[in-house]
Amino acid sequence: MAKAKTISKLDCQAPTGQMARLIAHVRLEELYDWAQYVDNPYHSKELHNLRIAAKRLRYTLEVFEETFPQQSKGSIQELTQLQDELGLLHDSDVLIALLRLCLGGQESGAAYQKALVRVKKQKKRKGLMLPPELVASVLDSTDSPSAGERYGLEQLLIAEQHTREERYRTFRDHWSRLQEQNFRQEVVHMLDRL
Amino acid sequence: MPIDQSQVRGAIDIGSNTIHIVVAHSSPDDLAILADEVDLVRIGASVTSTGEISEQKRDEALAVIRRYKTLAEQLGAANILVVATEAIRQANNSAMFLEQVRRETGLTVHLVSGDSEAALTFYGATYETVKKADPTMPLAVMDLGGGSMELITAHGSQITWLTSIPIGSGSLHDCYMPSDPPNRGELDAARAFLRSSLLDMQIQQEISTLIATGGSANSLLSLAHRADFLEAAIHHLTIDALQQCETLLTSTPAEEVAERYGQPVERTRILPAGCVVIQEMMARFHLTEIQVSSHGIREGMLLARARYGEQWLGRVQAEVHKMNLDRSEANETTPVQDNEAESSAATTSQNTTTSDNGAYNEPFADYGQKMLRERLHKLLDWRDEVVKNDDSEAVHRMRVASRRLRAILDAYESCCQPRKFKKIYREIKHMADLLGAARDTDVMLQKLQDHYQAVPYEEQAGIMWLIEHLQSYRQQKQHALERYFARLDEGILRKRIESCLPKGAESNG
Repeated sequence: MAKAKTISKLDCQAPTGQMARLIAHVRLEELYDWAQYVDNPYHSKELHNLRIAAKRLRYTLEVFEETFPQQSKGSIQELTQLQDELGLLHDSDVLIALLRLCLGGQESGAAYQKALVRVKKQKKRKGLMLPPELVASVLDSTDSPSAGERYGLEQLLIAEQHTREERYRTFRDHWSRLQEQNFRQEVVHMLDRL
Repeated sequence: MPIDQSQVRGAIDIGSNTIHIVVAHSSPDDLAILADEVDLVRIGASVTSTGEISEQKRDEALAVIRRYKTLAEQLGAANILVVATEAIRQANNSAMFLEQVRRETGLTVHLVSGDSEAALTFYGATYETVKKADPTMPLAVMDLGGGSMELITAHGSQITWLTSIPIGSGSLHDCYMPSDPPNRGELDAARAFLRSSLLDMQIQQEISTLIATGGSANSLLSLAHRADFLEAAIHHLTIDALQQCETLLTSTPAEEVAERYGQPVERTRILPAGCVVIQEMMARFHLTEIQVSSHGIREGMLLARARYGEQWLGRVQAEVHKMNLDRSEANETTPVQDNEAESSAATTSQNTTTSDNGAYNEPFADYGQKMLRERLHKLLDWRDEVVKNDDSEAVHRMRVASRRLRAILDAYESCCQPRKFKKIYREIKHMADLLGAARDTDVMLQKLQDHYQAVPYEEQAGIMWLIEHLQSYRQQKQHALERYFARLDEGILRKRIESCLPKGAESNG
């Protein structure tokens, strides 16, 4: 996820309430920049970015809560729920990626092994679902899973894929509800009030 | 004597009826006024009818403010102070409007509470009287605006009590007396409403001198002079003169009165309401005459700025706050605010019960410094628990605290010194990454441990294989956290956080 947008034209001596609204408007736009990916459940990175954007908006509303009207609490609640739902989805994505890695390591041939070696050497995560250090640690070539262990991992992978589908549906239903109630406009109106 | 340009300032107030500017050379106790202009924009009418400042009113207001800014700059004003009052306090889209003013004119508008408005008005309306009078003379000031009325009592320059009531000439006209001219039934309804609203004001001293300020009071004095209800040399309004004004205003259409007596027509429309409010206030305090001052909140702003410097509004707010505290302690058995709040329940809450939204008006940098200190403190509170590693929640909590701290840094980036910001941001991000790696592993481990308990025996071996690998990885992450925190100097981190946001930057106030 890219760093949060730097908001220019902030005035250090202006009332905090005014500046807080400028920041919240930008964070709200950042959130909706990712909305186009909501309908595709396999846009994992983009959905993760949506989650980070929701979190940034939520924290902005919380940090400056004293300067916003009471209605901000409702917005914070919705964002927290959204963030939790997308967080669970991301947890599933990470576990699924890890399980695929564990299961694919032995049978995927030289190209796969080379790719893993490259990932393990990376110092930073740089958009990878799993941190390179974790890949290196789990895929220790001296300790691959046995056939019996692989069976358990395969069953876990299947179960986790089902869990992910359910989690995506929960998130998607909530998102639809927010769209129906015009959540974006609600936040804009809330920010326009004192 | 040449004018010291650094002491020339402009003061604009955005009220419910008018937008008004005074440019003056100011000292702590005196003003030499260079310009005094007013435009009737009636923002309050839009707020009363729709709850919002309409686009048309926003455009009109912006045009006036731009013109005033040019005027102040032409006169060499070093600062232009701007406040907004009742209509803006009430509007649903006030924040948007204030931001629009800031964006399009570069002027920061301070939204002041009714109490601060009252105190500033008092300073402005009385500075000439107080210079000449007995310093302990009991007096009161009423500022009748378009959307609210402020009443302040004092001994000389020492304020003893103040209140702000959301009743003004504009709002009373819009709600009770919309006909032109207003009819008898409307007049009676307005009077009945006012009497019930004013009845419970628990003023704690006798009032023998009442100074009225605001557009309505000054226009009524002007009308009384031009219509020969008062001699030109008399600068106070008598009960007889007001009765004659009322008769004229309730029997003649506003346009005709305006034309005949050289009054602005928009002002003349709301003048009957202003007349009724002043009459009811005089009746409430058993007075037969009131003085009229052409000075008010704008002059008060300029005097406060000259007295207190850049923190002028903060000082006024602090004084008002202290007075409210004293008052509530003195009235513990019969709180003034409660009675007043009940009396005006038909309109909106009393401003005596509201203070300035301190956080809203606090300078952005000051708020940021406070928040950064608080959040860093909360973050570091978890340090020992994370190192102990008895409870996985500690890592989670500390990671969340690091994210909140980063959210503040993100918000304040453009206000920070770039090099210092980068350094501290990297530091906090590094800490957050270490915590994140540990936390993400904890989440997976928890999930796998739960799953292990729930699956058939033949699936457990694979789960345990993964758990063991992850536990080993988690242990590496714990060591990394321990090494990091062993090296972390909290004092240096605090200093870096505190120094990345500048202090005391110049403002236009």
